Amino acid sequence: MNNKHVAVIGGGIAGMEAASVLARQGLKVTLIEKQANTGGKLNDWDHLFPDFSSPEVLVNSLATKTKDSGVNTVYNTEISRIERAGKRFELRANQDARFYADAVLVASGFNVFDATIKEEYGYGLFGNVITSVDFEKRMKKHGQLHTIQGTDPKRVAIIHCVGSRDAKVGNTYCSKVCCITGIKQAIEISEMLPDCEVFCFYMDLRLYGSKFDSLYLQAQKRHKIQFIRGRLSEAAERADKSIQIKAEDTLQGRPLRMTVDMVILLVGMEPGASTSQLIQKNQMTVDENGFLKSANVHCARNQSTQEGIFMAGTAICPMAVNETIENARSATTEIIHFFENRRP
Amino acid sequence: MGICQALHKQGSFMYSDLNQRLKADVRLEEGLQACMNCGICTAICPAAEFYEYDPRSIAITVQSGNHEKIAALLESDTIWYCGQCMSCKTRCPRNNCPGLIINVLRKLSQETGAFIKSRMGRQQYLIVKSIGANILQFGYCVHPTSLVPATHPEQGPVWRWVYENMHEVYAAVGANLDGDGPGAMRKISPTDLKELHQIFKVSGGLKLYQTIGHFSQLKAIELGLTDENGDADMEKYTQYLLNE
Ligand SMILES: Cc1cc2nc3c(=O)[nH]c(=O)nc-3n(C[C@H](O)[C@H](O)[C@H](O)COP(=O)(O)OP(=O)(O)OC[C@H]3O[C@@H](n4cnc5c(N)ncnc54)[C@H](O)[C@@H]3O)c2cc1C
Ligand code: SF4
Ligand code: SF4
Ligand code: SF4
Repeated sequence: MNNKHVAVIGGGIAGMEAASVLARQGLKVTLIEKQANTGGKLNDWDHLFPDFSSPEVLVNSLATKTKDSGVNTVYNTEISRIERAGKRFELRANQDARFYADAVLVASGFNVFDATIKEEYGYGLFGNVITSVDFEKRMKKHGQLHTIQGTDPKRVAIIHCVGSRDAKVGNTYCSKVCCITGIKQAIEISEMLPDCEVFCFYMDLRLYGSKFDSLYLQAQKRHKIQFIRGRLSEAAERADKSIQIKAEDTLQGRPLRMTVDMVILLVGMEPGASTSQLIQKNQMTVDENGFLKSANVHCARNQSTQEGIFMAGTAICPMAVNETIENARSATTEIIHFFENRRP
Repeated sequence: MGICQALHKQGSFMYSDLNQRLKADVRLEEGLQACMNCGICTAICPAAEFYEYDPRSIAITVQSGNHEKIAALLESDTIWYCGQCMSCKTRCPRNNCPGLIINVLRKLSQETGAFIKSRMGRQQYLIVKSIGANILQFGYCVHPTSLVPATHPEQGPVWRWVYENMHEVYAAVGANLDGDGPGAMRKISPTDLKELHQIFKVSGGLKLYQTIGHFSQLKAIELGLTDENGDADMEKYTQYLLNE
């Protein structure tokens, strides 16, 4: 097995974790990342739910593990094609670079939903409508949240399910991590601006993680975050740049209008941009949501529908950091089995 | 004989197969895939802003298949508040359209006679009498001669003047009121009117007019609005509806 070569596509946390585990097992591993840095989306996040820890510390420790285990990391290289070449695979990058491997692990991650598509929410039109991604980036860069007028917001509305569970935008699945992201961000706002009222407009609170419900409790008890069950129909900018939103308080059965200083849209996760390219020239397929399809959702989650090509992390479906890392480790087990069971 | 007895006798209140009858209407297939109770339709609905009206709960009630609740809707004012603007269709994240669900409920309310149980529902009779008659008589839903100032105070004082000088006014703005040949408000040819009549006949429109008339008569009798022979006096009933 030791002379086998695995190419890992995508140097997010899934790719980094899998690459280092495989290398420690003695395999030759090339980790191919299209950006100048590894770490993927975590490079943009300020703090991680559920423990408010630093994504930077996590990414750095994964980078050290990757390096120390002897992974060959290639930067600024985007893979556009995986083609079978006999028993091996040929990977092509845009700049004509080629890689050869005995097995491929696709860890190309997810895309953030483009909130301008949901035009009734005014993203890109109204300065005080931002996304959860913008929130993380701003907090990381400036450590504070201001309205476009430069003032401290006194009222913020956080909108769940933007770009998820919505047939109108073509995404009927749940993105899984945005409910808890919203609660985390609500707590952060409340800690930063204790006088600011924060409202979460949700449809269902999907707090599946072991620590998630306690954050919800904390948000209500300690921070007085208001949770309103109703989905936004639209947002409109007023002359003073504040935002008027319309929803139904479905538990009261009453239409509701509210004016807030800022709106934060909890944007969902979509299949990664290169997914449609990567499945060409091989037998890989996508599931009904456009994410990479597993050979079996129960017992072969990391196996694609093409023998020899495996998958890890959010290229398969939305997941949080800890699940992504566990999922990456499970992918390495499947790859090792694949080599062990294959006749030389 | 009470109205309900009368209706039951004719087998019109078929509560037992309400669900089947709703589902038989193709508009329900289009209008209700599966509702997730999100409230976007109510949030966007102009009628919900002014009335005790909640398209979300209508979608949920029809989805539930609960006979009593659906029957109550058919007999309620609620289903007549919708303005058919179809804004709900543009926003529903499940591609439902409460406006279409309402269409189906209205039709069933008309067919079963449930509409006479609510004030808004009873107005169906006036609508058939005005718009319903206009379309067959003139080929227009609203015709200037039908907008008599006395019964249409909402048209304002200028309308009275327009009404009294109708032919001059319409000619002055380039219309061809009741004239042959092309132009706005032109006379609809007898051939076209015949076709229109045929369409209403074949599509069941005329039958619906009759059904609405029939149940309205029963209601008139129930209210004691009768002539010397004990038959429904629909002039009295019309006055009753106008003042209700
Ligand atoms: C707003 C938001 C906040 C979040 N906050 C948290 C949080 O607080 N806690 C938590 O647990 N989770 C959080 N998550 C989830 C977390 O971001 C994901 O679990 C994590 O990013 C998944 O890592 P990944 O490696 O699967 O994908 P990614 O992070 O998307 O990494 C994929 C990598 O692959 C590279 N790549 C893609 N295609 C190619 C190609 N063709 N060739 C070469 N390289 C390629 C990309 O450049 C990228 O570096 C959040 C998600 C969102 C949307
Ligand atoms: S996690 Fe919550 S906000 Fe995100 S799509 Fe699912 S229900 Fe909506
Ligand atoms: S069609 Fe009816 S229910 Fe739908 S938004 Fe318009 S008024 Fe409301
Ligand atoms: S918008 Fe659609 S899914 Fe939401 S409550 Fe209305 S009908 Fe149901």
